[in-house]
Amino acid sequence: MAKILLVEDNEMNRDMLSRRLIRQGFEVVMAIDGQQGVDMASVEKPDLILMDMSLPVINGWEATEKVKANPETKHIPVIALTAHAMAEDREKCIAAGCDDFDTKPVELPRLLEKIKALLARAD
Amino acid sequence: MKHFETGSEMGRENTLLRATLENMAQGVAMYDAEHRLVTWNERFVEYLDMPVEFLGTDKTFSDYIRYLGSRGEFGPGADIEVELKKRLALLDKSHTFERLRPDGTVLEVRRDPVPDGGFIAIYTDITARKEAERRLREDEERFRATDAASPVGLIIVSRDDGSIQHLNPSFVEIIGRDSSELLGKPAVSLFADLEQSAALAAILSGESGRRTEFRFDRNGESCCVMISLADLEFHGNRSVVASFVDITDRVRAEEELKKAKEAAESASRVKSAFLANMSHELRTPLNAIIGYSEILVEDAEDRGDDASIADLGKIQSAGKHLLGLINDILDLSKIEAGRMDVYLEQVFLSKLVSDVKTIVDPMMGKNDNRFVIECPEGIGSLRTDQTKLKQNLINLLSNAAKFTKGGEVRLALSRCDDENGTKRIRFDVADTGIGMSDEQIGKLFQSFTQADSSTTRNFGGTGLGLTITRHFCTMLGGTVEVTSVPGKGSTFTMILPDQVAKSVAHAPAEPRVTRRIDGKAGMRILVVDDDPAVHEVLSATLSREGHEILHAYDGDEALKAMRAEPPDIVTLDVMMPKVDGWSLLGIMKSEPVLQGIPVIMLTIVDDRNLGFSLGASEFMTKPIDRARLLGLIKQFSHANSVVLVVDDDADVREIVRQAITSEGLVAAEAENGRRALEWLDQNETPTLILLDLMMPEMDGFEFLDRLRCRDDTADVPVVVLTAKDLTETERAFLAERTILVLSKSAQPAGSLGHAIAALAERGAKSETST
Repeated sequence: MAKILLVEDNEMNRDMLSRRLIRQGFEVVMAIDGQQGVDMASVEKPDLILMDMSLPVINGWEATEKVKANPETKHIPVIALTAHAMAEDREKCIAAGCDDFDTKPVELPRLLEKIKALLARAD
Repeated sequence: MKHFETGSEMGRENTLLRATLENMAQGVAMYDAEHRLVTWNERFVEYLDMPVEFLGTDKTFSDYIRYLGSRGEFGPGADIEVELKKRLALLDKSHTFERLRPDGTVLEVRRDPVPDGGFIAIYTDITARKEAERRLREDEERFRATDAASPVGLIIVSRDDGSIQHLNPSFVEIIGRDSSELLGKPAVSLFADLEQSAALAAILSGESGRRTEFRFDRNGESCCVMISLADLEFHGNRSVVASFVDITDRVRAEEELKKAKEAAESASRVKSAFLANMSHELRTPLNAIIGYSEILVEDAEDRGDDASIADLGKIQSAGKHLLGLINDILDLSKIEAGRMDVYLEQVFLSKLVSDVKTIVDPMMGKNDNRFVIECPEGIGSLRTDQTKLKQNLINLLSNAAKFTKGGEVRLALSRCDDENGTKRIRFDVADTGIGMSDEQIGKLFQSFTQADSSTTRNFGGTGLGLTITRHFCTMLGGTVEVTSVPGKGSTFTMILPDQVAKSVAHAPAEPRVTRRIDGKAGMRILVVDDDPAVHEVLSATLSREGHEILHAYDGDEALKAMRAEPPDIVTLDVMMPKVDGWSLLGIMKSEPVLQGIPVIMLTIVDDRNLGFSLGASEFMTKPIDRARLLGLIKQFSHANSVVLVVDDDADVREIVRQAITSEGLVAAEAENGRRALEWLDQNETPTLILLDLMMPEMDGFEFLDRLRCRDDTADVPVVVLTAKDLTETERAFLAERTILVLSKSAQPAGSLGHAIAALAERGAKSETST
């Protein structure tokens, strides 16, 4: 089953989303800041990354840029997760190299569709 | 004029004396010891207006005084003998006095005794000097009065020694010290406080023309004056006059205004910060509520715990509702703060529609509604803000789903290009739901207002959705409108341009255009008001009547819009920022292109007279009475004035129709009374009916009888156009039921147009005023 790297600093969000993704049958690994996310991307080689944008150490845009700059990880699709209020930052997300984005709070069916679409494309 | 001895020596001296006398600027008269007039000069004669024959040595001073007295020289009613005695008593020594002559000239008379008896009198005309003195005195009085009454404090200070030469009562009052005893003292002693006095003295020693603001302490009260200096010569001294204008109130008001502005700005900053924080602080716990309730639902489903699923679902949907509300409020506050940006991208409509369908399908299912999509193949794409367009569609569709039960919701897309060739996409969202009344529609696009309060109770919702929808439409250069029939359903129509003009994307305050698409001939009405609610209400009211609405939010915008394309009617708010309604009206009436446009003033203050004197056509007070407004607009609208011509003679109808249409009116025809009644059943009441009397099937008399019995036509003005010779009874009948009877023979039908137009206009007016 596909492995998803969830980069999220908020413990509650991490807990909820990981449990629901696991229930959907995904393998989930987690990072709690941007730098850790970049590191885990190259160590764990996940099939997809869910990246929060407002992260400590380095933020989500920067982390995404690093993931996409690394030849080992650049193929991994990244879905940016932004708060509704930040919707206007989506252009920034795309510019940073994100493959798709979704707003928080997460609507699972919608997010799942995006995840499945990107995974299918990667295959 | 002399009487001297002859002889060569004497003659020369006499000649010399004569020449001297005649060249003097004064009148001179010499009297001998017996007071006989012995010599005089021309000026004496001129000044006293003496008849020549009266002068001579046989006359004495007394004769001469009596003569002058008899002529009234000493004033009316003066006792001549008293006057004479007064004068004789003075003659033994030199004396001078002034005499005002009846003609207004003033003479200074000087008499000096001469050694051998007798005396010499010298007359000087001092009229000009007296006049100058009088003027000076008046000037001084005027100055004194002005000085005392002026609210401006005045102080005159010597430039040489800094001493106070003069001060007026206002000065004393402004300074707040009893400084009348300061006259002559140095200006530095004006205040008890040395520092303050020195500062003022420094200002007073400044250059002429300088204006300085001076703050000082007036008996514990902080005051401010504007001091202006001007050099002047005062009593021969180089001096400076300083005027003190008390600007304490103005300065205080300015300071308060500044404080209020700062407070408002800070409040606005606080509000923005609050909203930003609120978005985060409220969302984080909501996130948990929604997320964990979803997890619990999934857990319960696994366990088959149906009872919990229902309750958890309620927590979840309440959380989602709250989240929606927060998002809406945030959107709206951003829109209001002008911080909502537009991101343009190419949006493919078929993809958009299928995305939207995925989202709204569950909502449709909830109320057992069929969801029908009409999206023509190859409809293509448009360049717009995808998020906002999607949000609008979801909003309209979820509304439709909410207010429709077991019915149908239809989303139809089509291309509709407007008359300027701008490519547009039209989105219709039609439902078969509960519908809305006109009154409900009027309130529809206002924040926090749903069609009525029971709506909130029965259907939920924040009341912000349509407000946001409309704002988004405006930002995207489009419009959204609604038509609805209570009980039958509503149709929301959103029209967006193919391309969002740059100016629209970045300046949502540009005049907006709401267009009616059904092609009904209406008026172009420019709504000028700074209150968006008024625009909403008027748009809803007027566009339903087929009028095209232009929007301007201040005077500048209004002028720009009017000059670009003059509208048919302007509705004008009085109280607006920058250029107010009165000024705008003034400007309009001074511009040839704009002065003919009827202006309806909409105002809270009923200043009718000012409005009419400035050229307003009509006047309405807020809140707006929509029926009356529509009436007024109809009155200005020839296009809506229909004249029904009822005549059996087709030729007459044709001639009259031409005359009517040439006046910009619309003509409807009927060949007899019965047909006319049928026409009235099917059409709106005309402005005027032009009626023949002798017609087959139903004649004019019967038609009039029936017309006046109908509720809708009881008041329609009727003009009778007949060739019939009328009896007394017939005349009386018609006089009661019509406004005018014209004889066909006396009045060629072709020349009727103008008269009919005038009558129609009058008819429309009386219609609206009832």
